[in-house]
Amino acid sequence: MSGTFDVAVVGAGVNGGTTALFLARGGMRVAVVDKGPICREASGVNAGTLTMQMTRVALIPFALEAHAMWASAASWLGHDVGVVVCDGLSLAFTEREAALLTERAGKRREAGAPIEIIDGQHALAIEPGLSDKVLIAGHCRVDGYANAYLTGLAYRRALLEAGVALFENRRVIGVDRDGGAWSLATAAGPIRARRVVLAGGVWLEAMAAWFGVRLPIKTLVNQLSVTERVAPAMRTVIGIASGLLSLKQYPHGTVVIGGGWQGVGDRETGETAIVAESLIGNVRLACHTIPALARSRIARAWAGFEAETADALPAVGALPGVDDVHVIGSVHSGYTSGPYIAKLLAGQLLGEAPRRSLAPFDPARLVTA
Amino acid sequence: MTDILVIGGGPAGMAAAATAARHGAHATLIDEQARPGGQVYRAMPASFAVAGDLGPDHAAGEALRAELAASGARLALGERVWNVRPGFRVDTLARDGPRRYEAPAVIIATGTTERHVPFPGWTMPGVIGLAAATIMLKAQRLLPGRRVVVAGSGPLLAAVAYGIVKSGGDVVAVIDAAKRAEWLRQGPRLLARPDLLMRGSAWMAALRRKGVPWLFGHVVTAARGGSQQVEAVEIAALDREGKPASTRRPLDCDALAIGYGLVPNCDLARLLGAPHAYRAERGGWIAARDDDLRSSLPGLYLAGDGAGISGAVAAEIEGRLAALAALADLGTLSAREAAGLAAPLRTHRRRAARFGSAMAELMAARPALYGAIAAGCTVCRCEDVPRAEIDAAIDAGARDVNQLKAWTRAGMGPCQGKICGEAVASLVAEHVGSRQAAGMFTARPPLRPLPTEALIGTFDYADIPIPKPAPL
Amino acid sequence: MIERIRNADVSTPPAVVIRVDDREIEALPGESLVAALLASGRLVFKHSPRADAARGPFCLMGVCQDCLVELDGMPVLACQEPVRAGMAVRLLAPPR
Repeated sequence: MSGTFDVAVVGAGVNGGTTALFLARGGMRVAVVDKGPICREASGVNAGTLTMQMTRVALIPFALEAHAMWASAASWLGHDVGVVVCDGLSLAFTEREAALLTERAGKRREAGAPIEIIDGQHALAIEPGLSDKVLIAGHCRVDGYANAYLTGLAYRRALLEAGVALFENRRVIGVDRDGGAWSLATAAGPIRARRVVLAGGVWLEAMAAWFGVRLPIKTLVNQLSVTERVAPAMRTVIGIASGLLSLKQYPHGTVVIGGGWQGVGDRETGETAIVAESLIGNVRLACHTIPALARSRIARAWAGFEAETADALPAVGALPGVDDVHVIGSVHSGYTSGPYIAKLLAGQLLGEAPRRSLAPFDPARLVTA
Repeated sequence: MTDILVIGGGPAGMAAAATAARHGAHATLIDEQARPGGQVYRAMPASFAVAGDLGPDHAAGEALRAELAASGARLALGERVWNVRPGFRVDTLARDGPRRYEAPAVIIATGTTERHVPFPGWTMPGVIGLAAATIMLKAQRLLPGRRVVVAGSGPLLAAVAYGIVKSGGDVVAVIDAAKRAEWLRQGPRLLARPDLLMRGSAWMAALRRKGVPWLFGHVVTAARGGSQQVEAVEIAALDREGKPASTRRPLDCDALAIGYGLVPNCDLARLLGAPHAYRAERGGWIAARDDDLRSSLPGLYLAGDGAGISGAVAAEIEGRLAALAALADLGTLSAREAAGLAAPLRTHRRRAARFGSAMAELMAARPALYGAIAAGCTVCRCEDVPRAEIDAAIDAGARDVNQLKAWTRAGMGPCQGKICGEAVASLVAEHVGSRQAAGMFTARPPLRPLPTEALIGTFDYADIPIPKPAPL
Repeated sequence: MIERIRNADVSTPPAVVIRVDDREIEALPGESLVAALLASGRLVFKHSPRADAARGPFCLMGVCQDCLVELDGMPVLACQEPVRAGMAVRLLAPPR
């Protein structure tokens, strides 16, 4: 494709895809470039949890807005990602977990999340298949989940309908300055744009390095597993106060088990591998929580890369010291909050009056010498 | 303490473990069945007693089992491998819970699965694979039906048809996708094993005497029946391009045994990261190996049909060759000793492989048959995904099988794409130019569905390692 | 009709009784559970998830998953499970 785009977004996940979508609808000529197929990385392989109860306090206002976006995906995305809005429970099985839960749910509630603490009996009433060993639970009526693997198809259709030029399987290997524009180098030729948005997940560090900026990004290798279709065993989206479990059953019957148990992986090669002990520990937690799951079979396990900054808050905004380059990433619970944060960034680039400040996520705080 | 882990107890695995143990290595053979034998030498239940002569295949299997038993190799039977890690670490699920094996050398001998071509009605009860029919006849002592249509391609056609007739059943017809000319073309290679050629000819002659029609260049295009099981099939001749002609003919039956060749099981080797290439004439995706059957990963050896189809006899020889290579690499045998033992095996392997490669060609994938799959026909059995939905995903931009899987759920069910994988890949390949370009479903553990209760065992909540809480 | 092959080449042990969906059937100890179920006339094991189509054993080697049954409440593949006297099996499809 010849010509110079107004914006090139590098990384076709939820962050990059949503930014590109709103930029295109705002009238810009937009390219999205990804080393692989759209939404193949974190955005396509995460557990799909949309919960306030694992969201960082500082991100609660953003998560609430993003949750509303997901719930009304038909209106802005236009295509189905299988969003289900439902009760969410964050469980405490021990006194220590109960104390942790009470403190954290309180802080999240102060930040605007509709979370109340309920006792084990009440939790059982909401979730009849629940273990009877729950002491207390955080209850949020507007948690939910989406179907991560549908994300790619939905965004692809939305982006193409919005007139975005989508370059899949097109790895950017470096950048050059070309007149008043940036030139993204790829094996199949350069892609030129006046401005660049880096939305590369764990690869954001390498991308910032193209511009001579040191932005350390930690790589988490999150493991997930899924059962085959089983009879209805649960109706809420469940977590544990310790944070080590996410659990949900999709309408078609499979149960996805996650929670951040670590596999092994190398972001340079893109390869991941499952750690058996992590799978066993994760599934034990799931069965402790919903005992009926012991009668299921685990059909598949996989791992994906999650990006984390030094202070575990997002990196969103102008890349320090570089003209016309912005970053968006490491959103932590990125799937939950990503669409709204991306929409804000797009608004900023379109010169619109900001609805909410992205200043707390200024990447400058993370840049090292 | 294991030096050499052998995964898969068919002819390659049995020969590998027996050879390794006999030369003084600590060898452990892991197989999911209660008795070794794989598919081709599948044993009957131990509680069945063999009185008569069950033929040369049975004798060959018994001989290998006896050699294995006498060799001193340790047998880990009834265990399902679900994960492997380099170095090597192998996770299995035994009847009583998870087990783990560690060894510096691993020989993968995991054989093949059957290739299937979807057609309307293939998911009906009473429709089984050709390999399934051989299991019924050989290992379960069951007749698949009283009036069976035997269909597909490859050497299993004659074996199944003859097995049914010999056991008192009727074969309505053999529907062979290969044209007569394809068989004749293989003549020179089949002569490398005159004993097998004669046996196959004898089977076909016996079927002819019984009045069983053998229809070359024909395929089953549909299975029909009442609410519960197959009652008839529809067949058609293949045109010059290998596509089913429009004229269809019905055949009454009470069972259909159908399969289109064998596909190497490469998920273990792929999980370890061994590079694979698509070789249609070897059955599909196979890993690179040197002449001594070493993969490109140190300590990993690949033997038997799982590394490229060469037949049961070649598989046994490869098992021995792989063991010799591992023994030499471990220092248990000197390089010279190992080379000396390997030399005659190499010659036998070449001869055996000639016959095997003829069979491999006769049962290679036939892309035209996948092209003919009807839009409403179920392709992914586990998830009920019809061809129309796969086509829609390709139209929407899916360019490799993994993207197609994400967008349709084809391959996401409990069989993990083992049954539908060939069909899905062929449909994608039509649009992206080749099977190589279409790719493979990413290899992920568990390699088979894991019963959750057996995986988790008994545990205390307090034992589950919880890290410090995430930042608030 | 799936039938047992009976001839002098192979002798089988005396049959035992197992329970399948509250009915008793005869089975041979040590044979695979799928063989016993097929020999007893059960061809339909379950129904497919979206089309609700009848399904039964297809590959008999632990690959297709269409012979999944419940044994003592747990999901097992009938083709990988040896028969034991007294076992209690439920098929995922109700008997017709």
